[in-house]
Amino acid sequence: MKLDLNWPTIRLLVVKDWQLFQKQLAAYVLGGIVALGFLGLAKPWAFYIGSLLLIIVQVAVACFAISTSLLIERKEQTLAFVMSLPVSPLDFTIAKLAGNLLTFLVPFAVIGLATLLVILSTPLPDGLVVFALLLFGHILLAYCASLTVAMQVESEGWNTFVMIASMVLINPFIMLLGQIESIREVGRGEAIVWSGDAVLILSAQLLLGLALLAFTAWWNGRKPAFY
Amino acid sequence: MTLALELKGVSKHYPQFSLSDLSLTLPEGQIMGLVGVNGAGKSTLLRLLTGLAAADSGQIEVLGHRLPAAQVAVKRGVGFASEDMRLYRGQTLDWHIELVRRIYPEWDASYAASLMRRFDLRADQPIGGFSHGQRVKALLLLCLARRPKLLLLDEPTTGLDPVARAEVLESLAEVLRDERRSVLFSSHNTHDVEQLADSIAFIHRGRLLACADKERFLGDWRRILCMGEATPELSAWPELAQLRSAGRQIELKVRRWQDDIPARLTQAGLDVQRVDPMALEDIFVTTVRAGGAA
Repeated sequence: MKLDLNWPTIRLLVVKDWQLFQKQLAAYVLGGIVALGFLGLAKPWAFYIGSLLLIIVQVAVACFAISTSLLIERKEQTLAFVMSLPVSPLDFTIAKLAGNLLTFLVPFAVIGLATLLVILSTPLPDGLVVFALLLFGHILLAYCASLTVAMQVESEGWNTFVMIASMVLINPFIMLLGQIESIREVGRGEAIVWSGDAVLILSAQLLLGLALLAFTAWWNGRKPAFY
Repeated sequence: MTLALELKGVSKHYPQFSLSDLSLTLPEGQIMGLVGVNGAGKSTLLRLLTGLAAADSGQIEVLGHRLPAAQVAVKRGVGFASEDMRLYRGQTLDWHIELVRRIYPEWDASYAASLMRRFDLRADQPIGGFSHGQRVKALLLLCLARRPKLLLLDEPTTGLDPVARAEVLESLAEVLRDERRSVLFSSHNTHDVEQLADSIAFIHRGRLLACADKERFLGDWRRILCMGEATPELSAWPELAQLRSAGRQIELKVRRWQDDIPARLTQAGLDVQRVDPMALEDIFVTTVRAGGAA
């Protein structure tokens, strides 16, 4: 099947999303740096505040990207303006997915990499890298699930529910990781060891996230028209 | 005759609303006013014509392209603005112009500048600070300056104050001087339609009640005041769209005026007092109440 996509307009729409939200995203990165500052102190109280703040910032980045580029655009009826431009539903879907991923992944990656750097360069146990990546994997998966729902469902209530529910699940997820001995013990040591359980969980998070995005692109792209 | 758009037997069903078996043509260079009450189906029709919505049945061709398959090509040649379309509140008009200019190579910068002056808009002001009238004018500027072959406007003057409305109508009238540019605009304001349109379509509850040249519309309809007794035979006249009586006074609204009608009424025992042309609004309301073709 030949995909006849309007790449120049898709690129413009992605840049548009980036331009619209770059200031707020910079503020989130700033929040992430503050959180990492606490983490870097390597004190129990600072670690608690820093890790909590870090999770809050990452969750906020995920929710902000989805709610501003999709839910608020839909509510404020700016999506109608975008859809009137020469784009097909597939062009629009790809532009929205790419724009959304860009606005989420850039601050997410910056904060994520900075977190690893802080763990590796401070007295914090290096084994925490595995634990941190699994937490970020959960946020990434929750973001993909929320984005998928936001692309299909117009109901603000359902979208808010999915966003909150998927992100709040990080709490039981942390408890679950604490129950898995191979992950719990690594987090306390200096060696970064990827146990079978850790690899399995991270792989599942990434594959499931990718599958959700692929499904969203396919599902929206197959529509002949927007309405 | 080249057609700007053509619909053949188009239907679109939603749970609460259906557009049924709609056929309509708009020749190139013509201005058609689409008149209907809120919820009549005007916006649905315009969404179908931009390819934003797909018809359940029937055929739609716009600027020679079949919809919705060629919606990207159609949207390159169409300027579409609707009442429910908003610009980004936090961004300036300049930012929007830059976005649209990069998408449409036909963007006419000098025309955009002249519209900006005429509409008294500030390019460096965020849209959030614009009044409703300014937002509508900004949206129209973004549509008009791309020099579209076909303009589709959904309620372009709704909610505007009289001055803003006059400015918008004047700009549209100027655009329409280009004989190859076609316009379909919807409104429930029949005065706007009467002022601008070459042809008029009435739409009600998802059905096209009538479509004809404006002059024919206005020429075909008359309001006749008579004195006398209305007979059942009179009610059956096919030319009559409405008959109302109060005592001995009878008001007739005629949908197909013929010069011999006053004489026929006299033969039927009525005393014709006066015959007046009808305004478009009156014609529309009568057509809707009659529930049939004008």
